[in-house]
Order: sequence, then structure tokens, then C-alpha cells
Amino acid sequence: MTCLICLSQSPYASQSAKESLDLALVMAAFEQNPGLLFIDEGVLQLLPKAAQPSPHKHIGKVISALEMYDISQLWVEQESLQAFGLVTEQLSQPVKLISRHQIAELWAKYDQHLVF
Amino acid sequence: MAGFLYMPNTAHPLSYCILVRCAPSQQSQALSALHFTQALLAQGHKVLRVFFYQQAVLTGSSLRVMPQDESNLTSQWQQLAQQHQIELGVCIAAALQTGIVNQQESQRYELPGTSLAEGFELVGLGQLAAASAQCDRLVSFGAGS
Repeated sequence: MTCLICLSQSPYASQSAKESLDLALVMAAFEQNPGLLFIDEGVLQLLPKAAQPSPHKHIGKVISALEMYDISQLWVEQESLQAFGLVTEQLSQPVKLISRHQIAELWAKYDQHLVF
Repeated sequence: MAGFLYMPNTAHPLSYCILVRCAPSQQSQALSALHFTQALLAQGHKVLRVFFYQQAVLTGSSLRVMPQDESNLTSQWQQLAQQHQIELGVCIAAALQTGIVNQQESQRYELPGTSLAEGFELVGLGQLAAASAQCDRLVSFGAGS
């Protein structure tokens, strides 16, 4: 079973961003090789050193752990990135850009999908 | 996600992992998770595990009191689990942050009491990962944001 985790929540509006990344790390630890798709405000999770307004852990620390867990399938929706006036060079991780109309195709490659 | 997309077919029993992410107060979604699981079991499918994550960990609280004319999701899950011997796993990390603790955790952190409802179990996220790898279908209810 392969799982695509779709992350659409901003880093600190709720615990959701951290909880979805935690799940990705655990799935990777179980050698399930999950893919991550950042979409809408979820792309903000990839900003390096963003101000940390909450008492919780900096989301960048969790994001930087993705590489250690061999999570290499990181997709970012192009339109979402553009909406925030960002380019991939500004993100903390090497990601693959995907446009909105290609998402169904990506979706179909995975057996399971979890949308956060 | 609408569970109805996965209308079970009794000729081919499948194994399911149910992920609940919405608080019990989010009535319709939280109820859908329960009703879907009841329907699966009634039709002879197997439920490997029900996993409560994010705000759904509150479902495992023994300290919630519902008005008399409202149904109590916690006791309905307990009943279902008892009847069908299914496991009700509550994410331990989310539970501790929400104030849901069992005897062991209460002692470890020197807390004044326990709040995990009977029939529920505090487990790690690994239990969800393992069940999702094993099952034929993973069905998630309620966004936890």
C-alpha cells in the first residue's frame, strides 16, 4: 500500500500540520514510503525559518527530518505557490512542482490518500 | 470523506482500518464514522483497528457528560468494540496533549487522575501505519483542523 498525504493546512493555525507530518514520518519509519503533496496554505510549511508564533515546535524541524526518513516524493502545487508569490528556490526542501490539472494523475498512482 | 463511496460487497469481505479525526462534537462526521463501522461489521467485513487521531482523541475521554436526550458516542463505540472485539486505538501523543491519560501515563507524569474511557487504548502512530499497510481499505473521517 502506498499513501499520498496531502497537506493543505498552514503551519501554525492548528496542530494539523504537525500531526500530518508526524504521520508521514511514522509511515516512512514503517517503510511505506509515503508521498507528500503540499497544497493551498500547506505550502507555507516549507518556508525556512518562518516566524514561530505558537508555543509548539518549529515546523521546519519536522520538515527537515523528512530527508532523514528518506521521504523524497515531495510535491508542491504550482498554483498554490504562485498565490503566495513564492518560487521553489525559497523553500527549505527540494520539491517537485506539479500543476493543478496534473494532480489527478499523481493521485491515481497511490493506493491510499489522506487529506489534512 | 464519504464512506458511501466504499459500499461494501458481502461476496468479498475486506479488511478495513478506520481513521477518525474529528471531535465527537462534530456530530455528523463523528457519527458517520461509527455508522460506517457498524455497517461494515454487520455485513461481515473485518475491521483491523479504529484509530482516533487529532481532535477525535476526545472520543476516548471518560469525563465527557452528554445531556440525557443526546447520544453518547463514547459508549456507542465501547459497545461496538465489545460486541465485535475490535480495537479502539487512541493516538497517545495527541491524547496526552488533550488531557486523556490512562493509569500508567497518569503515574508517569504524576497527574491527579485518569480520563481514558474503558475499552479504549493509548497507542502510538505506528499502530495506524501498521494497520494502513495491512488493510484492504483505509477510510478516514473528518478533517482534524
